[in-house]
Amino acid sequence: MKQNSLWKDAFFRLAKDKLALFSLVIVLIYFLVALLSSMGLLASTWSQEVGASNLPPSLEHLFGTDIFGRSVLQKVIRGTQVAMSVGVAASIIAIPIGVLLGAFAGYFGGWIDDFVTWLYTTFSSVPNIMLLISITLILGKGIFAVYIALGATSWVTLCRLIRGEVMKHKEREYVQAAGAIGGGHMRKLFRHILPNVSHIIIINTSMQFQIAIKSEVILSYLGLGVQGEPSWGTMIDDAKLELVRGVWWQLAGATVAMFFILLAFNILSDALRDALDPKLKGK
Amino acid sequence: MKSLVLVLTGVLLLSVGCSKDRSFDERELHLISPEKIAGFDPIQISDMYSGNEAGKVYEGLFEFHPYKRPYELIPNLAAALPVVSADGLVYTFTLKKGVKFHDSPAFPDGKGKEFKSDDVIYSIKRLGDPKLQAKGWWLFDDKIAGLNEWRDKNSALEASNYAEEIEGLKKIDDYTVAIKLKRPYPQFLYALAMPQLFIVAKEAVDHFGKEFLNHPVGTGPFVLPVFEQTNRIVYTKNPTFREKFFPSEGEEGDDKLGLLADAGKKIPLVDKIIVDIIVESQPKWLGFQKAKADLLEIPKDNFDSAVVGGKELAPDLKAKGIRLFANAMLDVTFFAFNHDDPTFKANKKLRQAMSLAWDRAEANKLFYNSSAIEAQSVIPPGLGGYRKEFKNPYVKFDLEQAKKLLAEAGYPKGKGLPTITVQTRNETVARQIIEHFAKCQERIGIKVKVGMNTWPELINKVTKRQHQLYTMAWGADYPDAENFLGLLYCPNSSPGSNGSNYCNPDFDALFKTATVLQDSPERSSMYEKMNEMVAIENPWIFGFHRTKFYLSHAWLKNFKFMEFNHTQFQYLNVDLEVKKELSKKF
Amino acid sequence: MTKYIIRRLLYMIPVLLGVSLIIFLLFNVVSGDPTAVLLGKNATARQMADLREQLGLNKSMFLQYIDVVKSAFTFDFGYSWATKQEISQMIKQGSYPSICLSVPAFVISTIISLFISVFVAYYRGKGIDLFVRVVCIAGMSISALAYILFFQWFFAYKLGWFEISGFEEGFPAFVPYIALPAIIWIVLSIGPDVRFFRTVILDEIYQDYVRTARSKGLSEMTILLRHVLRNAMIPIITYVVIQIPSLILGALLLENFFSIPGLGGITLNALNSSDFPVMKAMAILSSVGYIVFGLISDILYTVADPRIKFK
Repeated sequence: MKQNSLWKDAFFRLAKDKLALFSLVIVLIYFLVALLSSMGLLASTWSQEVGASNLPPSLEHLFGTDIFGRSVLQKVIRGTQVAMSVGVAASIIAIPIGVLLGAFAGYFGGWIDDFVTWLYTTFSSVPNIMLLISITLILGKGIFAVYIALGATSWVTLCRLIRGEVMKHKEREYVQAAGAIGGGHMRKLFRHILPNVSHIIIINTSMQFQIAIKSEVILSYLGLGVQGEPSWGTMIDDAKLELVRGVWWQLAGATVAMFFILLAFNILSDALRDALDPKLKGK
Repeated sequence: MKSLVLVLTGVLLLSVGCSKDRSFDERELHLISPEKIAGFDPIQISDMYSGNEAGKVYEGLFEFHPYKRPYELIPNLAAALPVVSADGLVYTFTLKKGVKFHDSPAFPDGKGKEFKSDDVIYSIKRLGDPKLQAKGWWLFDDKIAGLNEWRDKNSALEASNYAEEIEGLKKIDDYTVAIKLKRPYPQFLYALAMPQLFIVAKEAVDHFGKEFLNHPVGTGPFVLPVFEQTNRIVYTKNPTFREKFFPSEGEEGDDKLGLLADAGKKIPLVDKIIVDIIVESQPKWLGFQKAKADLLEIPKDNFDSAVVGGKELAPDLKAKGIRLFANAMLDVTFFAFNHDDPTFKANKKLRQAMSLAWDRAEANKLFYNSSAIEAQSVIPPGLGGYRKEFKNPYVKFDLEQAKKLLAEAGYPKGKGLPTITVQTRNETVARQIIEHFAKCQERIGIKVKVGMNTWPELINKVTKRQHQLYTMAWGADYPDAENFLGLLYCPNSSPGSNGSNYCNPDFDALFKTATVLQDSPERSSMYEKMNEMVAIENPWIFGFHRTKFYLSHAWLKNFKFMEFNHTQFQYLNVDLEVKKELSKKF
Repeated sequence: MTKYIIRRLLYMIPVLLGVSLIIFLLFNVVSGDPTAVLLGKNATARQMADLREQLGLNKSMFLQYIDVVKSAFTFDFGYSWATKQEISQMIKQGSYPSICLSVPAFVISTIISLFISVFVAYYRGKGIDLFVRVVCIAGMSISALAYILFFQWFFAYKLGWFEISGFEEGFPAFVPYIALPAIIWIVLSIGPDVRFFRTVILDEIYQDYVRTARSKGLSEMTILLRHVLRNAMIPIITYVVIQIPSLILGALLLENFFSIPGLGGITLNALNSSDFPVMKAMAILSSVGYIVFGLISDILYTVADPRIKFK
């Protein structure tokens, strides 16, 4: 019996890894699509008519057409660009803030730690959705407001995690040793500790990425997100009106596109955590 | 734990099964309001839907005849039309006798007091009260002798002094009021029919204080003791409502349609009105089809599933006895250029080019199911000043001419012209309209972007002149083209209603002369002249005069489309026999 | 222990001050002058000046900040711009429908998730475990909006099992109205809940005491229910408690789509009418909720788990 389950475990893990690998490929494909679209090589003609209004999916128009006869597929691709850009921008804002604040707080302790702890407790005390809609509403909407809002909300978890890890590592022997041979604080922190806690950044980013994508969709749906460009959120907003008359393909297009990227990120972040975080290994 | 789950799911499913049966013995009217109701304080009303709710409990001195067209003003709380002095400045009103306010704890013994001249004077003063910042103030701003002075004086005081008499608001006796205007104001009586001028009682305002907006105490046909800000408002018949009877006359043909079958009966005709506030259009539409509402303003987006080919009702709906009402509205949609922006102000050809590039026929098909009329200028058909024969040479789809004009304007193929942002409301269809507009402009090389705003934000951008173009629809407040022409009158520039900040001295001069005249052929021809003068200048890209569509179930009686419909609901009736019979089909 | 709790209580003060600061910066400093928004299309300069005075916008920034702080402690939020209603009254009236929807949905989803996670923990590593995990992840990857649109159309309209939208006060009158949104809520939260609970339970399963129990010959199910679950309950309860404040706003879109006049609907409505005082109030209210329940969760955790040392 035990033998049996061991085999199964191994198989399971293998299958999971394959799945993770597959997810990674999906994520890379999405990035590629977004990149090509932003360079104008893909879906640059999304705003042009390709057929009549509201054509159902067919071989010619894979995802059908929208109310203006634009290709839903092209809109989905354009929406991919928006969604991925939001994830990237949120990470670009959140990682430096989260890592630096967390590292300093964890390493130096004292009033710096008190301040940083207070700062992230404060930020995490305002529910994300309220902070997101407030910031985008007040900054006057548009994609940059979304970037900033997401950046402002997603550094918090990372900061807390990094702080905790740095605190642990600071006492470890290798850091003490580095200190003994005359390394300064900055050197200890950036050359020795940070590389050892960097896996947290990867795990956290892969989780934050999907939160960013989901948030962008909700914000765009509420009319607070991107303006004048297709987004999965505005497509769903369109679909809300079209569904009763049987036009389901815009909803389907946006939902399917969202489904695969979120699925991939979900699996990937699980796998990353298992692989990188030794505490959870073996489960 | 398992059992707990089972029990909980059980309760959930059981109670789902026993949703309430419809009652067929009470005459209930089920309506839908597509927007949240702000409250029941008349002077703060600024949207049609809040006005419709207030109109069930409150009344004004006048109302529009529910069936006669063109719209005719008839006395409501007033006993008759006023006597007007020769110079057109003093209006003497006689009031109905024996009209009672709703019973309310605001009055001694809880019994509603009688409505008298003091209430009229109080309600008008209240509109001008500087402490209240009434949204309807523009109606009487600088119109009534002494009212602005009173307002200014009181803004410095701790509390407004209502005891002070105003020259223009004179009580002659308990049932007679004389109102003196500063200068002729031909739209004055229309204003007195608007929700902002509904009559309130001082006792109720004082008693409820800040909570007055949730405790409507009017003289109207229905009673609502407390407005609880839920999504369902239930009105009951006012037991002390005066003798008011269903009209026996209407527009030609109304009696054939059975609209006057209830003539001479005491109104209101139903015992209860239930209004559900449903904002999202999917539940609204699904709910109507399940007979949860008797009347539905068709959401644009459900049009296709309701109406086949833009004319006929879909057969499955017809089979259920549902009827379709399509009526031209007194409105105009437009894209207004900001004339503070030198790009547009100095460049008439650019404005005209953009107008020519917009494929209105396609927009009409996509957004209005080809039911709207292309606007040639500001005034909609149905108002004096509209001339059917007039065609604006720039209201057509002509890409070649558009390109030519754009080149002449200094931007050949759009070169040198920055991206133009069009501001609009944060709504799906509003966004789509601009997306379509942008698509059209792209064909001649002009780049257009959507800017989405909440309603207050949009107003804010327009009043502060921080826009290039914005789009909006303007609906008539009253049946006088002055209400539309004023949108392009220079002194009305932002923060006034002229959001395009367009100025044309010839137009303004005519406006000044025409708008103080009473309705006459002479005035209409002046309106025509202004309307056509401004059309070819293209301060706006003129859009459409839209059609409004309603669906009603067969058991709803006496419904006729009304532009100014706050008082309409008291005339509606429900045929319980038909309802019982048809309900089997739902 | 008591000392720790007092410390945590006192720590609420700087956090609340911080939250007020964020909200103040957003709504009072960045947002600009609201008077034009408030008075609508026909405002005069005089009217605007009067209104600024009335709204207290002529006060110094510091005094305005103090007002925000005050409202965080007194819950006196003033009046809504859009509806002119008293905000504390709006919140009071909106809480009831919100609670009717969120509490049953929350309780049921937690129980179902717990049940499923014990089940998959028992069959860990087997096909069924993989299946449930895949379903959870897949479910989490579908947009909430898609669920709402589809379920309303299909279950309420096509099948006619539920009311399409609306709300009535009183039990059981409200049940047919909240049933469908509650189901959507449950579907939405089972995915993440099960994933978390499963991890926590599996964390415990590899502890030494489980091995001891197994060697004593106790059945796997008994061990799971008696020992593992009891220990896993600590992180589970704290996780659950900390979610409670999100119940206030959690149903933002659900309430809107099902015309439930709750706090979420109020918030969305405020958002669509740039009603800053209401947005501010909801932000403060939900933050205070987070802080209070965060504290409760912390205290529960320390009370239940002796391994935690107090500072």
